[in-house]
Amino acid sequence: MNPRYAFVLAGGLGSRLCLLSERRAKPAVPFAGKYRIIDFTLSNCVNSGIYDVGVLTQYRPTSLRQHIGIGRPWDLDRTRGGVQILQPSLGLLDDDWYQGTADAIHRNLVHLRRRKSDEVLILSGDHVYKMDYSVLYAFHKASNAACTVAVTEVPAEGISSFGILETDAAGRVTGFLEKPRQASSRLASMGVYLFDRKALFEWLAEDAALKDSTHDFGRDLLPRLVGRGAAVYAYRFRGYWQDVGTLDSYYQTNMELLGEPPALELHDADWILHTQSADRPPVRFEPRNRTARSLICNGSQVAGEVVNSILSPGVIVRAGAVVRDSIIMNDTVIGTGARVDRAVLDKEVVVGEGAKVGLGEATTPNQACEHLVSGLVLVGKSARIPPGVEVGRNARIGPGVTEADFTAAVPAGGVIRGPEPEH
Amino acid sequence: MRDTLALVLSGGGAEQMSVLTSERAVSAIPFGGKYRVIDFVLSNCCHSGIDRVGILTQHAPTSLHDHVGSGRGWNLDRRDARVLILQPYLTRAHHGAYRGSADAVARNWDVVSGSRARRTLVLPGDHVYKMDYRGLFQTHEQNEAAVTLAVAPVPAEETHRFGMVQLDGQRISGLEEKPRATTSRLASMGVVLFETAVLGEALGSSPRDLWVDVLAPLIQRGERVAVHRFEGYWEDVGTLDTYYRANLDLLEPRPRLMLDDPEWPILTRDEERPPVTMRPGAEVEASLVANGCQVAGRVQRSILFPGVKVERGAEIVDSVVMQDAEVGSGARIQRAILDKLACVGAGATVGGSGRELTLIGKYAVVPERARVGAGAILGVGAGPSDFVADQVAPGVRIADRFELIARP
Repeated sequence: MNPRYAFVLAGGLGSRLCLLSERRAKPAVPFAGKYRIIDFTLSNCVNSGIYDVGVLTQYRPTSLRQHIGIGRPWDLDRTRGGVQILQPSLGLLDDDWYQGTADAIHRNLVHLRRRKSDEVLILSGDHVYKMDYSVLYAFHKASNAACTVAVTEVPAEGISSFGILETDAAGRVTGFLEKPRQASSRLASMGVYLFDRKALFEWLAEDAALKDSTHDFGRDLLPRLVGRGAAVYAYRFRGYWQDVGTLDSYYQTNMELLGEPPALELHDADWILHTQSADRPPVRFEPRNRTARSLICNGSQVAGEVVNSILSPGVIVRAGAVVRDSIIMNDTVIGTGARVDRAVLDKEVVVGEGAKVGLGEATTPNQACEHLVSGLVLVGKSARIPPGVEVGRNARIGPGVTEADFTAAVPAGGVIRGPEPEH
Repeated sequence: MRDTLALVLSGGGAEQMSVLTSERAVSAIPFGGKYRVIDFVLSNCCHSGIDRVGILTQHAPTSLHDHVGSGRGWNLDRRDARVLILQPYLTRAHHGAYRGSADAVARNWDVVSGSRARRTLVLPGDHVYKMDYRGLFQTHEQNEAAVTLAVAPVPAEETHRFGMVQLDGQRISGLEEKPRATTSRLASMGVVLFETAVLGEALGSSPRDLWVDVLAPLIQRGERVAVHRFEGYWEDVGTLDTYYRANLDLLEPRPRLMLDDPEWPILTRDEERPPVTMRPGAEVEASLVANGCQVAGRVQRSILFPGVKVERGAEIVDSVVMQDAEVGSGARIQRAILDKLACVGAGATVGGSGRELTLIGKYAVVPERARVGAGAILGVGAGPSDFVADQVAPGVRIADRFELIARP
């Protein structure tokens, strides 16, 4: 068997994650306390025996680059293969950016030249799931498919957010509808494609020549192939799978880890999720803290109350502070007596003493971010919230905001802008 | 510091440590929720710029090998930085175990001389402290010393645990080995910096012990032996009581040993484990809990290493519970040390409020609803057949049963 190769698409804009992915690529957004979203896909690769991976980046790759490094946590620092970060390079045009997912792969086919893999696996870096890709390879071979798309069943009301596949009894795809209003099927594409090498080369070259194509697998290439009767098959994945591309699904998917039993088991010795772990001491639970139904990472110190929440490494919750239904990222400090309710706090935030983040039930949508509507409060990296300040629902506190940026309480749907990024 | 080689004396299987050292050296004992004892010394070396380290060991070295590996956790796997584990070996001239610390160094003299290190720093591997060795080097250089000892003040009632140093001004006038009564309050930390040439010469007379057979004669002979005072936290954890106390000291509101100092992180071989999972029913107070733990019971003033599982209604008080141990629902653990992968069945009771510590060895199984009395010791791999009427009486010691270990 020739060694397997996978491309991971990790370049998307992630605008529906609002400020969480404003300054980092979506796959680099922290998840489940100590992980980044891309850890699921990278761990799936190595746990499935794929040790040769190219990660395609485009939008703000720094954070992702730092996280992946030379790939050591995933055993991807290898003499042969390993992980490579593939950032677009300048060619003939000034704005030679990847146009769509198919274009991104097309422009990186050069990496397959010296590789002998018979198939090419194409993955998304922003999905949360544990999947053994070798089962997909076996299905692909058994079906004599030229392309196999992994699919998962989604609720009927959700089909308009996905590419929906219609299949016959043998699993052969008979219809491919991109984000349809209505469909007879509820099988959504997971953005996991396995192509025969030859077919992929051929199809990508063909697509690249088409003027009216947006060069996207889901929008252009796959519907066209299915339309003309190519051997495209759907592989039904029955495990837990979530697209965490929107703020609400990101929050919800995190919270589902706190279920009994959790929707996705992190304590799985047979499918370890690998990540870059910093040297941090064990979690310190102070006397008289109250902590329930939560995930808490090394380096954290809890003196207050933490309920139904997820704390990344190094979070400090001081005495009398209350954190509920929230996601708190690395090294954020919740001051004495402060309250944080249904909020997502990015890294290194400081919540001043007695401040109240996520107050009341008012549901005015956010003025700046159309995706911030369900009552969550978002606080950007390194923001400082002054002592005693009250922040209403759907508020958005920008990264790097200082205490001086606050003049009064932040109403529901309010926005505090921080210093603009330099570029 | 480039011209220095550190030699870590990894400590034997100290009898006092009972089942904790049945299968490992003292320096490889888990400490502080996710570390091993030797991490402190290796981190000190790393932060002090000493990047060539030899570890002298002979008692059950597997655990140490697993932990230290290539030395990556401490940045010792570089082109010109390295860590070597030095075990006794055969030659045509000699065989057998190291007879003492000086003998261990002498047997590995080829490593020392091969390193061309001008200085050799001898470090005990079973002490817990954070020390910048560069201060020691400064003292050494200022005094143009041949040997410099690090010393730390200890209370009068503890002098019997240490080698005590008598001073005459800045010079050492005498050494006392574990005296019951002495006027000196300065204990040797076992941290000794030698000019390599001086050490090499002293080893010519086939000494056994560095303290008795090397240092004492050097002082007598009038060599320049300086002292360097260390005032920080320092603990020899080579006895059960000090080990237990040093662990629980970390739970004080302001612990004397800070594990989360960003300037001096304690480096270790980190395992990939998910976040601490607090399940319904969890109540954890004044405790350290490492990643990978799943807690649904009550934990008070205790230390839980990675992967410990505490079921609903279980209670752990004043205890140290090592990696991947499991405590069944409704079980109660008090003043006990549970070694790795120990398993306490539902409703069982281990230990009590008495002074004596209760020990459960690696892989040992306490059956459901059984009792292990205070002060009892269950050897490695002990199991249901060691219980009489569901009980191991207080103070009883069950021997290790290596042959019965079937669990992975």
